[in-house]
Order: sequence, then C-alpha cells, then structure tokens
Amino acid sequence: MAEVVLQLVGASHRHSISAPTLTKPWKKILGPGIAKINLQLHRGKILGLVGPNGAGKTTLLRMLAGVLPLQKGNAIFTSKQNGQFIETKFSSSIELREIIGHMPEQVRWQGKKSVHDAMIEIAAMRGSSEHRILGLIKLVGLNTRIDSPLDELSQGMRQRLTLATALLGSPNILLLDEPFNGLDPVAAQAFSQLLQKLTEKGVSIVISSHQVSGLAGIIDRIALLHRGQLLIEGEMKSVEKELELSDRFDVTGESQPPSAQLIEKLGMELIDCETNIGNWKMQVKGNPDGVLKNLIDEGFEIESWKPHAPDLVEMLCSATGLRVEDVGLEITSSTFLPLAQREVEEE
Amino acid sequence: MNRKSFNKITSLIVKEKMFSTRMLIMFPILLLFIPGLTWGFSDPDIVLPGGHLPETPMEVLFYSSLGIVFGGTMCAVLMSFDGVSKERASGVLEVKLAQPMMRLHQTLALARGTTIAVVIPIFIMIIISIFIIRYRMGVWPEIMDIVVHFIATGLILTWYTLFTLIASSKAREQGTAIAFGIGIWFFFTFLWALVTSMVAFASGIAIGQESDPSWIALEGTLDLFSPNGVYHHILESRLPEIQRGVSGWQVWIMAIAWTILPLWILARRMEDLVP
Repeated sequence: MAEVVLQLVGASHRHSISAPTLTKPWKKILGPGIAKINLQLHRGKILGLVGPNGAGKTTLLRMLAGVLPLQKGNAIFTSKQNGQFIETKFSSSIELREIIGHMPEQVRWQGKKSVHDAMIEIAAMRGSSEHRILGLIKLVGLNTRIDSPLDELSQGMRQRLTLATALLGSPNILLLDEPFNGLDPVAAQAFSQLLQKLTEKGVSIVISSHQVSGLAGIIDRIALLHRGQLLIEGEMKSVEKELELSDRFDVTGESQPPSAQLIEKLGMELIDCETNIGNWKMQVKGNPDGVLKNLIDEGFEIESWKPHAPDLVEMLCSATGLRVEDVGLEITSSTFLPLAQREVEEE
Repeated sequence: MNRKSFNKITSLIVKEKMFSTRMLIMFPILLLFIPGLTWGFSDPDIVLPGGHLPETPMEVLFYSSLGIVFGGTMCAVLMSFDGVSKERASGVLEVKLAQPMMRLHQTLALARGTTIAVVIPIFIMIIISIFIIRYRMGVWPEIMDIVVHFIATGLILTWYTLFTLIASSKAREQGTAIAFGIGIWFFFTFLWALVTSMVAFASGIAIGQESDPSWIALEGTLDLFSPNGVYHHILESRLPEIQRGVSGWQVWIMAIAWTILPLWILARRMEDLVP
C-alpha cells in the first residue's frame, strides 16, 4: 500500500449557530460539524468521500484545506527527505494550505476580470510563479478563453478554472468538492484521465460526492461520512465486504423468473425480484460459480448478468442499521451529531 | 508578507474596481459634485447664505469638500459594498481563503486595493478643482492646503471603504451589504445633525445658535465622533478664525482611531469568516 501522506487524528470542527433567547439575543451554540475523525490520505491514491446532504463532506474538505481550523485533533504530514519519512505535526492552517490545492463546489467566477488575471491573483496568494499559469490554463482546456472576462464563462469552464487554481503551486494533495457537477460527459472523461495522471505523479486526491456510482472506476479508496462521523474507510472491495454488500449480481431475463427456492438451491440468496409482463429483474447474492450455466441449463432466458455496485443509500443503511426513510430526507436531524458524540459543553 | 504578491493583488483589485461599470456611472456624478462645486464656489460673484463670500483658494476647497462628503463617500460605499459578500456568495472567497497567504494580508490587500480604486478618481477630481481655482481666482492654493486636502480626503474615503467592507463581510447577500453601507453613509451624512441636536437639547444648550460658544463647542466635540466631522476638523485646521474648542491633537487622534479601529474590526472579522 502507498505510504500515508497526511493523517487527521481526532480532528473535530463544530459550526457555531445562532440560538437567540430573550435575555441573550447573540447566544450561539455548537451546531453540526465533524466529530473526532481519524483519516489517512495515501500518496498517489484517490479517496472518495461520500455521504448524504449535510453529512459533513464540505466541512471535512474545508478542514483539510485549512479554511476551517481544527478545533481539536491534529494534522500530521509525512514527507520524504533523503530517503527517510519525516512526520510533521502542523500547528497552523497555513501549513496545510501550502501542501493542499482546494477546488470548492460550483464556484461562480464572475466580473470583468479575465481568466488570466483571476489566475494571476490566486498565484500571487499562493506565492507561485506566473509562468506556470499558461500551462495550467492549457491543461484544463481554457487556452482559447485566456483573455475572456469571467462573466462570459459557462459553468463547465468555471469548473475548469477552479481546477486550474487548485493545481497552482503543485500541491501534494488535491481536494475536489463535487467536481463533476456541471461538466459534460466528454469533459468529465477528460477530467478523470487528468486525475489519473496526477496520481501517477504522486498527488493524493480526495473527491467528495453524494453519489457512489459516479466515482466507480476513479477512486481507490472510499470513506463513508454520516452525521459528521466517519462510518467506514478503506478500499472499495473491503468496504463492500465489511458492509456485507459484496458478491451481489443484477440478473435480467425474459418470460418466467427462477424461484427463490431454486436460487437458494444453487447456493445463492435472492435479495430482490421485480417482474413485468414478459421480463424480470432480480438481485442475487453469493458465490456465482456455475450459477449462470445452471440457470441456462434449467431453461431460463437470461438477458444480462452483471455485478451489482452498491449505491450510497445501501451503504448508509448497511453501515448505520437505519432504514432508507430514516437516512433519506431528514436533513435537519442528520446534520446534527448523534447524542453519543455530543460534547458535554454544548453551549 | 511577500510584498510583491501583496502589491500584485492590490493592483489587480484597483484595476478591476476602477474600470468597473459602477465607477463609470459614478464618474460624471463625481465630476459634477467636486469640480462642479469648485466652479460654483470660485465664482467671484457668489454669495453664500449668511452673506459670506469665499475669499481664499482654501475656502473654496473647503466648501467644495461638500461634494466629497456626498459624492466621494457614496462612491466609496458603492465600490466596496460587495467587496467580500460577492466573492463569498460565489465561492471565490473559499478559493482565496484556501491559499497559503495569511488572511490578514489578504484583508489588507483588499482594503488597500478598494481604497486606492476610490481615491484615484477622486484625487483626479481634486486636481481638476485646483486648476479651476487657478483659472477662476487667478491664484494657486498653498501647497500645505493641497496636502492637507488630499490627506483628509484620502482618510475619509478610507474610513467609508472600511465601514462598508465590514458590512460586506457581515452580510451573506448583497442586498444586506448595500443596505448596511448606505445606512452608515446616511447616518453620518444626514442624521448626525440630529444626534448633535439631541445631545444639545439634553445638555440644555440652545440648538443651532451659531453665535453661542457652548453650542459651537458641543458641535465641535461631537463632530469628533463622526468621520465627516473629523474630515471637516482636519480641513478647518487650514482655515483662519475658526475655533470650535477642539485641539489639533484631538482631531488627529480621532483620525487615527477612525482608521485603526475599523481596520482591526475588518481583520478580526475576516479571520473568523466561514466562506
């Protein structure tokens, strides 16, 4: 496994929220946030940070980016010097910002300022030289728009510009908050390839998303976030296995579907089955060896047989033991930390 | 602080704001308010209410400073009301706060850039005014008069820019930011006389009695607590025969306080800002 480049140890950040009372109109209490997270980022690997709305993905990315301070816990950076790994405990957010490139979600660049000037401004803040700007603008495909005012950029172009700013200063770690929003399929494909190239150069990448399927084939590891807590983190396969979501297959066919008894007899478990007029769709779990051949031999007309990729809802339900209705739309409650994680000094 | 980066950011802010549509709209207004008023006040036949006649170039500059109090400060408010709120709403602020430059330095660059963008056009107006005075009255203002006028104008524009940037950093959307900025402008420009009158009434001093020394002293003291008042106190230091019971050191201390305090509040605010 690749070496750890950055680790968060017991990192917490709770937002302050207004809770005015008659006697204390400016009273603030601790609101949602991130609670005591331990997370490791590996060199040259892509970590998918997934969770529902309000899970704390953006807050965690902002903590990693040094935009929000770590109220508790530490960030430890591992660098290689003279063939030896040296661990540095960061004492300020600025140190984090020096090694990290941050691409926030849906930045709406606007104004009469040109693309080039916008890049120069960020480069000056980063302390990186201006001669890299042209190369980065070309890399993200904005070279024909270099002198265009920001107002004239489409949302996809704005996404590319944000990526270019995140790449300024050759960061060791790249944080991408919902990067595929607003990109057309062609741009998304090119974007994925660019990320692969960056990982080959040793850049560690964190991509946040509320969709697991969108990250399939891109990420090496996955971290599941819910109510400000890290439920599980690891390689995709091991996470699927740990959540008992592995070895599942989607099977479709025509005419009559095989019965649950037959599926069980073949050594698999029937999870779900939908039948329509003339065709059917089912999800089965278990060792697939010989099952497809046996079903065909039994005379069933199989149209497709493919591994089932778990989605976010399945993962969350499996990890939390909650039902879909409980995880789903209750954003207000899900943004607050569970009672077990609340601090004693709540006010 | 990396001075080169700091200057670069400042110059980009100046370029963006000074050539904005907003400044284009403000330009003719400033032209009417500053050189326009100077043209009027330097007319040899002008008689002001009370029968007073501006006799010296500094007096003309003093009277035309009314255009700066109305037009210049309004320009400062309009140029800075979205200095923070716009970038915060669009997400650009998050990109900037994720850079390794200290937030304090980013704030100073923003305050400096915005102030310079407002100050340059208004200084151009003052230079035009000086030429108008020369043309209409046949004499140049004294060098010290010009220097004091430039310093006082630079300060008042800085104060209004800082107030409005604080408002902008507080507001999550631009409507609140502009309401806050214009509210401050309105309060000090129009309502301060009301505050002065109320304090005078509470102190048992006859209101508006220009020949009453206690009214003049009270007005002079209360003016220290208004940016416009301090501005006029600084300008009055170059006018003879004006005694409002306020010493020069008091005026300059308040001028420093009006500069440092809002800058400190803005820096603190930006330090704690969540994008």
